[in-house]
Amino acid sequence: MGGKTEKSHSIKSDFSMLAILIIPIAVAVNFVGGQLASLLKLPMYLDCIGTIFTAMLCGPWVGALAGGLTNVVTGIANPISFAFIPVNIATGLVAGFLARANMFSNWWKWLVSMVILAASSIIVTAPIVILVFGGITGSGPSMVVAGALAAGANIMTAFLSGDGIFTVIDRTVSYLLGYLVIGVIPSKTLIKFGCGENYIKKASVKKSA
Amino acid sequence: MWREKLRIRKSNQIQALHPSTKFLIVCLFSACSLILGSIKMNGYALLIIPWFLIVPLLCAASGIFMKFCKAFAKVLLVATMIFLTQSFLVRSDVVAWSGGVLKIYEKGLQTGIFISFTILNIAGIFTWMFQTTRNKEISRALEDSGMHHKAAYVFMSTLQMIQVMGQNSKTIMNAQRARGVETEGGIFVRAKAFFPSLVPLILGSIIGAEERALTLESKGFDVNGKKTHMFELEPSGYEKLAASIAVAATAAVLIGRILVWVL
Repeated sequence: MGGKTEKSHSIKSDFSMLAILIIPIAVAVNFVGGQLASLLKLPMYLDCIGTIFTAMLCGPWVGALAGGLTNVVTGIANPISFAFIPVNIATGLVAGFLARANMFSNWWKWLVSMVILAASSIIVTAPIVILVFGGITGSGPSMVVAGALAAGANIMTAFLSGDGIFTVIDRTVSYLLGYLVIGVIPSKTLIKFGCGENYIKKASVKKSA
Repeated sequence: MWREKLRIRKSNQIQALHPSTKFLIVCLFSACSLILGSIKMNGYALLIIPWFLIVPLLCAASGIFMKFCKAFAKVLLVATMIFLTQSFLVRSDVVAWSGGVLKIYEKGLQTGIFISFTILNIAGIFTWMFQTTRNKEISRALEDSGMHHKAAYVFMSTLQMIQVMGQNSKTIMNAQRARGVETEGGIFVRAKAFFPSLVPLILGSIIGAEERALTLESKGFDVNGKKTHMFELEPSGYEKLAASIAVAATAAVLIGRILVWVL
């Protein structure tokens, strides 16, 4: 194996046995992360850690499926989250494509990735929140939105100022968690994942330096 | 013998309907709600308010009223929030009601009623479906309707995994607390506690998944053949009746909508 080996990415090959088993874990992590965030009274949802993490390891399609499934499953208890299925799917897709393009490898690429990740989810969330719910969903950040609305702001600006900031922090924390976990997964496991190779190289360079 | 134990027996006939029939009812009910919502009386979509009464009645008839109330509380809170913010905060020219400092504007009240009751209707009927159907039934029905067995497995496994990892996360949190990780205090203290609780959880699950992959492969999960099932779905016999009632009601609503349109 000399030089760079180009990996072929077909949707079917993305869904390997291990990827199939990771999806339930991703959904559960999304779920538990959200619960833990509210348990620790953090002002964030942190409900897409699993999605981002899976997308980083297994690529966009597995990430998107994990994201979509999360909202289907949480929808069983609270049907309102059905409306937000596209948000989590978009997060998975974007994170996966960024991982495939190796956009998490150094700090400036990482910064760009975070902005893209947050922007994409805001772009998808905004129309849903505004069209379906009239701007308010009853969560922490939506109190900010309600406040801004009361002060006479336009619904679009109110929404962006409320949810926008929270989304950026939310995505950054979620990514950091995924990064920490991937950092401690042994290489023999990493190699089994679609995008796992990207993270192995970095580790071996660090050791030899 | 123990296959008998896996079987689900329900005394209530509405609860015992086949999941696909329930899903048909859910779709038709949601469609009706949207159709009724488009009929405006003086600009108010008043018809969806009585339409919502069907949901609690249906749940009471299915014998799950208490379960429904518990599950529905969250949705009710969101809908109330939306209703209040819409009616009090969206401004327009016509004031519908005013009491001291607070004013309700006509436009806000109209959108408030429409959005909150549409959400109540659609979320309510979904709650009914999920409260009357076990997860096992849903995943079996999905597989019967032609879904790949791997996809059905993912769905089933997800529901179990949430419970398992929920318990594991509590264990890990307690262990970390015992080691001195603080979970109470300022926001940064609490945020710092987030990482040591989640990282071991995810890592442990991934290692577990690797082992599970080997197990499943060795048991022929990858083989594309006919699968046998431990759990069989049994129709209750009232599926056709229930479906025809739902279709008839939808047709009536549709005809009513067209009549309002024409007249």
